[in-house]
Amino acid sequence: MIQEHRSWAAFTLMPKRLNVLLMSTASDFNADGKLLQDVDIAATTQGELVGNENFVTKEAEPKSRAQRESENKTDGSFFNLRLTMAESVVEDSQSPKPKPRPIVRIGIFLITHSSFVSVVCCAAGILALFLLPLLAKNTYISENALMPGSANPMFSRHETVEANRLVKEIMDLKLKPAEAGIEIPRLLAQRMEESDAEVYHHKFHGKISQFRPLHFFSDIPYSGIMLENGSASHGINTVGIIRAPRGDGKEAIVFVTPYNSTKIELSEALSLGLAYSVFSLLSRVTWLAKDIVWLAADSRYGEYASVAAWLRDYHSPVFSGSDKFGADMSFGTNNLHEHKANPTTGAGKPDVFRRAGTMAAALVFKVVDKREEIEKDTLSIYAEASNGQMPNLDLINIVHFLAVHAQGLRVKVEKVHSLLNSAWLQIMGQTLESLGKVARSLNPQWKFGISVPEYVEGTATLASSLYYQALGVPTGSHGAFRDYQVDAITMEISPKGFLNNEVRRSEFLLRGGRLIEGVVRSVNNLLEKFHQSFFLYLLTAPSKFVSVGVYMIALLLLLVPLPIAAAALYSGANRLGSISKEENQVSSPASIDKPGVAFKSWRWLHAAKVVFIVHLWSAIVSLLPALINQLPEMTPMTSMLVWASASIFILLILYSMLGSPFSYPTVTQSQNSEWAILKAVMIAVASIGLGLMSIINYATAQIGAILMVPMCLIVHPLKLSCRAGSLRAFTLIACNLVLAVFGFPPVGLLMVKGWSEGFSGVNVGDFWSWAESLWAWNSATYLYLVLVHLPCWVLCIHILLHPC
Amino acid sequence: MAKMRWFWVWVLASLFFRLVLIYFPKNLNLGSRPEVATPLTSLRRLAEGYWLKQSSISPYSGSMYHGSPLLLSVLGPLTVTRFEGQPNHVACSLLFVIADFITAILIRATGEKLQLAYSQSLRSLNLAKLLETSETLSAGDIAGLIYLWNPLTIVTCVGFSTSPIENLMVVLSLYGACSRLAPLAAFGWVIASHLSLYPAILIVPIILLLGYGPDTPPRKLFQQRNSGSNEKDPVLPVNLFSWRPVVHFILWASFWSAYVLVLCSIYLKQYGGLSEMFKRTHGFILTVEDLSPNIGVLWYFFAEVFDFFRDFFLIVFHVNILFMLFPLAIRLNHRPCFLAFVYIALSSMLKSYPSVGDSALYLALLGWFVYELADMQFSFFLFCGYVGVILLSPVMHNLWIWRGTGNANFYYATAMAYACLQIILVVESVSAMLHHDRMLRKQSTT
Repeated sequence: MIQEHRSWAAFTLMPKRLNVLLMSTASDFNADGKLLQDVDIAATTQGELVGNENFVTKEAEPKSRAQRESENKTDGSFFNLRLTMAESVVEDSQSPKPKPRPIVRIGIFLITHSSFVSVVCCAAGILALFLLPLLAKNTYISENALMPGSANPMFSRHETVEANRLVKEIMDLKLKPAEAGIEIPRLLAQRMEESDAEVYHHKFHGKISQFRPLHFFSDIPYSGIMLENGSASHGINTVGIIRAPRGDGKEAIVFVTPYNSTKIELSEALSLGLAYSVFSLLSRVTWLAKDIVWLAADSRYGEYASVAAWLRDYHSPVFSGSDKFGADMSFGTNNLHEHKANPTTGAGKPDVFRRAGTMAAALVFKVVDKREEIEKDTLSIYAEASNGQMPNLDLINIVHFLAVHAQGLRVKVEKVHSLLNSAWLQIMGQTLESLGKVARSLNPQWKFGISVPEYVEGTATLASSLYYQALGVPTGSHGAFRDYQVDAITMEISPKGFLNNEVRRSEFLLRGGRLIEGVVRSVNNLLEKFHQSFFLYLLTAPSKFVSVGVYMIALLLLLVPLPIAAAALYSGANRLGSISKEENQVSSPASIDKPGVAFKSWRWLHAAKVVFIVHLWSAIVSLLPALINQLPEMTPMTSMLVWASASIFILLILYSMLGSPFSYPTVTQSQNSEWAILKAVMIAVASIGLGLMSIINYATAQIGAILMVPMCLIVHPLKLSCRAGSLRAFTLIACNLVLAVFGFPPVGLLMVKGWSEGFSGVNVGDFWSWAESLWAWNSATYLYLVLVHLPCWVLCIHILLHPC
Repeated sequence: MAKMRWFWVWVLASLFFRLVLIYFPKNLNLGSRPEVATPLTSLRRLAEGYWLKQSSISPYSGSMYHGSPLLLSVLGPLTVTRFEGQPNHVACSLLFVIADFITAILIRATGEKLQLAYSQSLRSLNLAKLLETSETLSAGDIAGLIYLWNPLTIVTCVGFSTSPIENLMVVLSLYGACSRLAPLAAFGWVIASHLSLYPAILIVPIILLLGYGPDTPPRKLFQQRNSGSNEKDPVLPVNLFSWRPVVHFILWASFWSAYVLVLCSIYLKQYGGLSEMFKRTHGFILTVEDLSPNIGVLWYFFAEVFDFFRDFFLIVFHVNILFMLFPLAIRLNHRPCFLAFVYIALSSMLKSYPSVGDSALYLALLGWFVYELADMQFSFFLFCGYVGVILLSPVMHNLWIWRGTGNANFYYATAMAYACLQIILVVESVSAMLHHDRMLRKQSTT
């Protein structure tokens, strides 16, 4: 019988939930074996059910129960009967003191010990960040199809001779600087044509930075942005395409060689020569399955702008022939006459914009003459694209593999040089080294030891990797490719000696050419897009990386205290509030009409309103630079001041319009807990913001969290701490003030700048220039700073000054 | 009166805000977001269907349009009207703004009716002391404003989706049922079911509403009071189920559905008639043909499932909704409007092509019960969860589709989190409502 009833209880919507409800209500009665009437009576605490009341209930019960049963029967509502009986049976068979489930208990434990948990988690998070170089793994080539170095290089002395000849010709052109801007593209086009490639020139305008705050998540890469100013200032990219004998023209590999056509250097000429020699070799080989595109990018408006302009036109066909500039690269035939007049194309053939399918990979290579003695030819790899995106690790892997094992180059990635000599990193490294030794003496299988120089170098590389990802600004023209999901890196090759030496130059060209040929051959083997290896990683050395699964731990440890602290504050404030509510009801029933008192569980709404206002303000602040930029004749200093004053002005207006927290009539009881609820809401919103940012750009979130999490957790109204007056309270005040000062983004930036470059050169305008560069590059870091960090800081100040 | 004016100021402000947003459609680009426009509700697809129809091809040819022919004949001409210097589809957007406005007004009127009926029944139970908290703000006002100012509603309204019309029809039927206007209720119900099928389950709360009247405390309380006080005249004759309006409703519903079907068959005479329509609209909903990502949980599942299990799981998923109807109807039969809220929330969680427009509707209906659910647990958690998931979803989509560094699991994770949030919302609101009933029982027996 009981089994049957249970099955009916289980048949209702949320059986578990219902059972829990029943359990909790059943526990309020003395389980004396008596069949109690209904759950509905039981929703009180045990304390309220004092003798008299209890007695009445029990007396009234048998009658009403019998009555109801008869009603149910007469209604014919069989289900109702079953349900109520099931309820009573379930209720009856429960033990009087149910224990909450373990997961609930863990939750309660965490919430009650929130301050301890926060301290432990924050410390662990920061420690984990410093352990990352230790946890780095060696890279490995994950995609089998790549097979780097499996074929003998075909690049020979013959090609270097040709390269050298081109370099000489280009350097001769340099002597006539007025014509170089036109002549070099012409020369390159001629050479490309000689090696049976399809050639065209691509004209583009210099990019003018535009702030488009709504385009961060837009789906369409903005197309057809034509600038009105005439064709007076444009650059000319020269593009050559080799059609692969074994391909179907649907995939391509892209080379980019940036050079400044107005003022060409020997090293740039050398990179052009290198590209040309590889290009002419590839035009003769039989194994090519992907088309080869060589983009000689005119970098007189910056390396990035030319490549970005070309890519934009590559991915967005222009169908209308109305625009003069657009017609130049469209498929129109009626504009031949324009080309005849156009001196850049010389031969008078139509400059049809040609394409070669999707790009499998892109290699940007530059030769850099460091003019210093180094023991080996060096290859520097730059990979960071916009918003902390990285190319697939396999691309870096094959370049590294071929450079080190086939060509004997030294491979470098960027690192923060000032960290290399820092004493505390050495100490940290020594500690880790000795720890590793101890561990190895315990068990030789454990291999987490690391030598001191390795640790310091790893940390410096990691710091630079984090910094460039966090900035969200690409470190080279490869960044433009990542916006179209093409994996690209910049290879910067610097030779050992001076390049003026002919023999030395040939040897250098031979190595570089073989390296590029090898990479092309590997990528040529690819059957699919790069997908096997990692996209989310940090480099600690050219051949060591920390993957997303590892570095996320450091961030998560920092973020975990936030929800716990929010829950603790919220539940604590609620408890306080409900006590004060009862007092209120006893003392003055008039206070009921205050919102926030009537709704026990909706008391956060007022705090949410304050938080919402501040976030609204920050959204307006983030749009202000677009307006300020329109103002004429602004120095960074004045712009910054205008920005700051406008922001403060708007904040004051919003406060006065939508109700400042200070204007509220002081409610003595609820005000006490009000700041706590405000802090809870602020922390919750901050954790949402940081969580989002950790997905968009991990590095920004990591650096932001280090600043923001302690600030959020420690903030406490100054008035309360002053009133307490103990030593602990004063340390709290000091911590609060220090964090509040450093948490302000401009102050933080200026302090870092002053610390690294000396305080004499620091001025307020620097922040404006910095922010300007961020939004010019559409970096999400700007949005993070203004939409997450700034409002959080304002709310912290708000809580510090809270009148409680 | 000051309160009234305050309400209208906010309503006008929300409408103005929508109009401002309508002028930036290119920048917002909401029409292509999977969260906003589903294959069923996308206005772009509707425009395509209309274009096909104009070229004398079946609007259902290809797999572009899956909506109702009636919508095509009403909205279709508006999609091609262009005004000089205005963004495309501005006429449709204006229509959606009007639809939102009417929906909000209907929600408000229904909320006021509910509150009135509820306070009457509480008075008859001598529980008038519970009412003094609820006189500061009318629940109808709150619900209406929640609907108008909910970011999800605004996004749906601006984002070229036909969900505002569907929501209007659902609310219309509930309003008709609350005010016992059987023709209106039947009209709303028929059109809503015709447009998106799932509102068909609302027939249960509508019949309960028409039979018993709006939400009351449990009927047992009245019986106890009647029998306990031994009065000659019963306090309120709420317990009686009146069959008359229900029969009216059924007759009207059959009339309206016949009418709709006749119109559709006339419209689609050359293109395969009604069978084609059912196959392409309701069939499309039931067989989950379009597996493009959305915020629901079905697309991922059916993209993964083996073909020979497909039918089985289709049945399982759809029966899932039906399975919950009767237990809920039995437990909450004294609160039909709340029951309707629960049904809408459940179906928007388990439907095949959900959009944020569905959530906008049930979140607004939650406003009707703001005094009953005052002690709801986890409200803060739910709020944070909704904010987080709604911001996370476009980011994950961007990561997967545009950056290529994420994959489908990233986006599906947010869909699952969203579904979990809705489950928690439903569970918590139902348990808060039962708790409230229990509290009433306690108050009335002491």
